[in-house]
Amino acid sequence: MSKSVVEMPPKGGFSFDLCKRNEMLSKKGVNPPSFRKTGTTIVGLIFQDGVILGADTRATEGPIVCDKNCEKIHYMAPNIYCCGAGTAADTEAVTDMVSSQLQLHRYHTGRESRVVTALTLLKRHLFNYQGYVSAALVLGGVDVTGPHLHTIYPHGSTDTLPFATMGSGSLAAMAVFESKYREGLTRDEGIALVTEAICSGIFNDLGSGSNVDVCVITKAGKEYLRNHLQPNPRTYTSSKGYSFPKKTEVLLTKITPLKEKVEIIEGGDAMEE
Amino acid sequence: MDLNMNLNAPHSMGTTIIGVTYNGGVVLGADSRTSTGMYVANRASDKITQLTENVYVCRSGSAADSQIVSDYVRYFLHQHTIQLGQPATVKVAANLIRLLSYNNKNMLETGLIVGGWDKYEGGKIYGIPLGGTLIEQPFAIGGSGSSYLYGFFDQAWKEGMTKDEAEQLVVKAVSLAIARDGASGGVVRTVIINSEGVTRNFYPGDKLPLWHEELEPQNSLLDILNSSSPEPMNI
Amino acid sequence: MSIFEYNGSALVAMVGKNCFAIASDRRLGVQLQTIATDFQRISKIHDRLFLGLSGLATDAQTLYQRLVFRHKLYQLREERDMKPETFANLVSALLYEKRFGPYFCQPVIAGLGDEDKPFICTMDSIGAKELAKDFVVAGTASESLYGACESMFKEDMEPDELFETVSQALLSSVDRDCLSGWGGHVYVVTPTEVKERILKGRMD
Repeated sequence: MSKSVVEMPPKGGFSFDLCKRNEMLSKKGVNPPSFRKTGTTIVGLIFQDGVILGADTRATEGPIVCDKNCEKIHYMAPNIYCCGAGTAADTEAVTDMVSSQLQLHRYHTGRESRVVTALTLLKRHLFNYQGYVSAALVLGGVDVTGPHLHTIYPHGSTDTLPFATMGSGSLAAMAVFESKYREGLTRDEGIALVTEAICSGIFNDLGSGSNVDVCVITKAGKEYLRNHLQPNPRTYTSSKGYSFPKKTEVLLTKITPLKEKVEIIEGGDAMEE
Repeated sequence: MDLNMNLNAPHSMGTTIIGVTYNGGVVLGADSRTSTGMYVANRASDKITQLTENVYVCRSGSAADSQIVSDYVRYFLHQHTIQLGQPATVKVAANLIRLLSYNNKNMLETGLIVGGWDKYEGGKIYGIPLGGTLIEQPFAIGGSGSSYLYGFFDQAWKEGMTKDEAEQLVVKAVSLAIARDGASGGVVRTVIINSEGVTRNFYPGDKLPLWHEELEPQNSLLDILNSSSPEPMNI
Repeated sequence: MSIFEYNGSALVAMVGKNCFAIASDRRLGVQLQTIATDFQRISKIHDRLFLGLSGLATDAQTLYQRLVFRHKLYQLREERDMKPETFANLVSALLYEKRFGPYFCQPVIAGLGDEDKPFICTMDSIGAKELAKDFVVAGTASESLYGACESMFKEDMEPDELFETVSQALLSSVDRDCLSGWGGHVYVVTPTEVKERILKGRMD
């Protein structure tokens, strides 16, 4: 069989053709780069009319904070959201993949997605990759069978809980939940408790930081409170800012004017039947 | 780092699981601790999973592996029940688990105890340990906590116990294992299966019997600190 | 040694008022030996979209070729240029495909989207997107670039001021990184024109 000369866009799935080379490089002592992690505090709890999810907003690469305000609460379906911890690319990819599978499933059935469907799709993917896709998730949502909260571990095991925490800050956040959670919290109490748990992660765990994102899901709908609390505002901005005299030494300047965008106005009724 | 909590360790169930037959049915029992390395990831997990109306399974080992096995077996048994037009027997359920455990023994790290009741053979307990062997037993114990229980069961298990005797034995055994095994803990859950159906029972951690050198449960760490005479900070 | 330190690189992109700047150093090295001082790390995808690839140069060039190929297929099929957001998703997908044997590249994408809204974005080598509102950096000098940009950046800069800021941030950062430098290459893109400048820098 002859291999096609032109490489066509692949149909999907992972490609392993650089593995051998990369293995050779790391044997020679050239280390592969570290990936972006969301050293994270993510939490979720069930309150009287639904589910509340919470997350911090720091992304790290080793000891460097590479994003101070990233989004860790991912969309799965209109009534289901999912917090992700672990390797950023994995949490992003796995939630995106499953959310599109859910969308197709909704088109097929014409019904609202269920949380267990999302849970099964996620755990199946993660189990297949035996923990190498390192995504630790807190999945929450409200469906026809009521509110649900699950945690999913990178190896594909799942738990069903009334309150859950994940990520490097999970111990700090769990301490708050274990001492203050009770059944039948109101919406405001729930948001306050989630915020407190995330703050405990932000201030006690070095991998977590910046702001608090909250997502409240009820039967009536969802409310995404992006940057619900900003406990770490920037304090060191110079009010004037830095400005530079125009004296950077330029060796060569090339100016390319861009073509004007041509606006096409449809003339008369040419397109009408 | 010395205090390596290893939160990336696979989610596993250092467990105590028990299955016991009595005259008329079976009792299954388990603790409720799920840990990742040193951290208790879930202190109230349910390790006794339903497969069919009359068959349940106790899971130990890797949480992911035992969940996937029991999910597949539940799915197969569902089909089997529809095709057969009557409930699946315990033996069929146990055999399916054995098949999956044996065929994938290199991938899986899970030991399971199947228990249930069917009209042909009555109450039955099957143990399926790591390699995928299937052993029919009058009682089976599994998980990390089971090593503390072998001698106890040799002494305490009797042929032809009543339902209550059997359940009390299970609760006592799990609480003994919880007291000695660091990887087992939380509450005790039991499932009783007989010709009349299924009963689930729950024994909270602070209502369990206390064994040698165990302390009374306290509501808060502050209660302990307040009750002891020397100020904790003055030591 | 990290694989990123094999060739050395510095990349930065910054947002201004209806414009953006993307800049890189010009060195190509093999560890501590300098091979070229006029290396192109930033390439044009179309008039209003630029891509910088830091990291291992061989992977940067391979990845660039694959991206240009995919972009041309898109142009043929759709008869239009890709939006920066779409292109970022393409890059991310291409990188994540090699999740378990990655290209050793950290891309920086900068472009003008609909209504001349600037868009900048960076990723790690397996395609985890970071969409920033102000600036993004990549390469061996990224740590010093973070610091420089963090203090020098202002909102809504005009193209000329943006050029000065990004150039100063770049030059001062690569002076503290021995694996990148030898001048800079800056593109400032406004809705009407692209200004490409080559900066003089230290030659040591």
